[in-house]
Amino acid sequence: MSVLLEVNGINVTFDGFKAINNLSLSISNNELRAIIGPNGAGKTTFMDIVTGKTKPDSGTILWGQKNSSLLRMNEAQIVELGISRKFQKPTLIETQTVFENLLLSLKKSRNPIATLFYKMSPDDEKEITNIAVEVNLIENIGSLAGQLSHGQKQWLEIGMLLAQKPNLLLIDEPAAGMTSPERKKTVKLLKKLSKNQSIVVVEHDMEFVKSLECRVTVLHEGTVIAEGSLDHVSQNEKVIDVYLGR
Amino acid sequence: MKSIFLNYLNSMSSFFWITAIIMIITISIVVFSEAYGLNFVSTSFVKILGKTLCLCIVALAMDLVWGYCGILSLGHFAFFGLGGYMIGMWLMFERTKSIVIESTQNNILPLTHNEINEAIGTQIFGVVGGAEIPMIWIFADTLSIHLLLVLFVPGILAFIFGWLAFRSRVNGVYLSILTQAMTLGLSLYLFQNDSGLRGNNGLSGLQNIPNFDNITQAELSIWFLIASSLTLVVTYFICNLVVKSKLGNVIKGIRDNETRIRFLGYKVESYKLFVFVITAIISGIAGALYYPQAGIINPAELAPIASIYLAVWVAIGGRGSLYGAVIGAAFVSLSSSYFTGGQIPNINFGIFTLKWVDWWVVILGLSFVITTLYAPKGIGGLVEIMFRKKQL
Repeated sequence: MSVLLEVNGINVTFDGFKAINNLSLSISNNELRAIIGPNGAGKTTFMDIVTGKTKPDSGTILWGQKNSSLLRMNEAQIVELGISRKFQKPTLIETQTVFENLLLSLKKSRNPIATLFYKMSPDDEKEITNIAVEVNLIENIGSLAGQLSHGQKQWLEIGMLLAQKPNLLLIDEPAAGMTSPERKKTVKLLKKLSKNQSIVVVEHDMEFVKSLECRVTVLHEGTVIAEGSLDHVSQNEKVIDVYLGR
Repeated sequence: MKSIFLNYLNSMSSFFWITAIIMIITISIVVFSEAYGLNFVSTSFVKILGKTLCLCIVALAMDLVWGYCGILSLGHFAFFGLGGYMIGMWLMFERTKSIVIESTQNNILPLTHNEINEAIGTQIFGVVGGAEIPMIWIFADTLSIHLLLVLFVPGILAFIFGWLAFRSRVNGVYLSILTQAMTLGLSLYLFQNDSGLRGNNGLSGLQNIPNFDNITQAELSIWFLIASSLTLVVTYFICNLVVKSKLGNVIKGIRDNETRIRFLGYKVESYKLFVFVITAIISGIAGALYYPQAGIINPAELAPIASIYLAVWVAIGGRGSLYGAVIGAAFVSLSSSYFTGGQIPNINFGIFTLKWVDWWVVILGLSFVITTLYAPKGIGGLVEIMFRKKQL
């Protein structure tokens, strides 16, 4: 499998606090990866760095076949490459409908003039409907995003990622606020999606991670301390010490 | 198919209402003046109406930039003023030129080009102790260029200012302060005598349109009223298209959740800049229509307080709805000229006299506080509630 994203020797310091310490990590094409670790391990900061929200002090981030560096790009350019992100707290346009949220996410020109003269084609409408069906929101398609339940908001945000047709999805705590049937459905959805794109999931819930049945990376104090299957990492002494507990 | 048509009609309904109201007012004034003579409706009243319509146009611009895109610009009156200055330069230059030529008609030798320019220079810049025509007046004899300047001077200023501010991700109240600084800086610069725009005297006599000397002010004021109402209708139509388009969804998204829009891959800075520049140009056009009706423009018009008033109109009218902005600007500026115009007598309480000129500001302030607290969507929001009740 070829490497899609390669993070090498990244360091980030916030006011003297080392949030990320010589972090190296690589994600292959169509890989599903879970990142776990205690609070403050740098999981969300890792996503901030990849999406261009935070600039690292040193290190390299290479993307795709061409090995293009993400460090000099802004957020919009990184999205254009095909990296989409779901935030820890559901981040939607709450004053607009589910339909409008999905419409904004569709992979179309992001140029102001093009957006001004954009006319919705029947294909676009169908695509939005399909995504809404996929994330179980077809009945709520006309309601405001702000009126959805917490779990539905998480799904809408995943749906918005799908609409962008990314190569890499960064998903921060998808299971938070979901009921157990909803979690099962989310696992199923993520597994299905990973057939066509790479997915990185940050999650606290060990049950959820276990059901994903994928490679797991354990972060601690901004650095990778173990990597492998969940069974493998959960036998690692250091992981037990800092995260799982004895 | 039918539902699409109905949706379209629905999205245009406020446009039709506003157009109908403005057209009824304008047409009835034109008809009455035709039927009963030009002085049936007083010229000053027609001028007040025309000016109010121009203020509605700039309020639309403010609503687009603040109510829809969430940028609280407290500097849009600077663009309004610049539009006024740009058209004022041509009006004043050409008018002075025709006066100079007229006054020397009986001379045996016609004046040379240089002599004419010298005379114009003395006429216009005598008050600031100069006779030279400054460089920036180089195109003042060409109307077409000055009409373009009405668009480009506010547009380019907004582009440079916006590019610098949005690129550095200046947001919220800091941006508002910067825009205040911009309009204050511009106003202070224009106050200087060597700014080339007659310092604190400003440009005057703008109500006289060159080469239209035989047309009375009464008739001119009606022409300006028609022009203002047509411009307002066109601006409303364009703004309505913008907010109903996908771009409208994006800028409302920027207002409500900038991070999400940014991480959906939209260049938030470009969108803000786009809206900022477009609204600056709209403000410039409104200013170019307003000042010929007002007759005079001076740097005090660009004072920071003017732009704050603009925000108050939009807040009282209802930001985030285009008709709200129009209603707010019309209602507040008409009340303002009613209360400060000396039409209602002061009330004498014995120990103190209630002077409306002073107390109007208090009323305005109170109504601003009350709308913010009890009707955050302003008058427009109240209209919405009324219509909803009817439908139920």
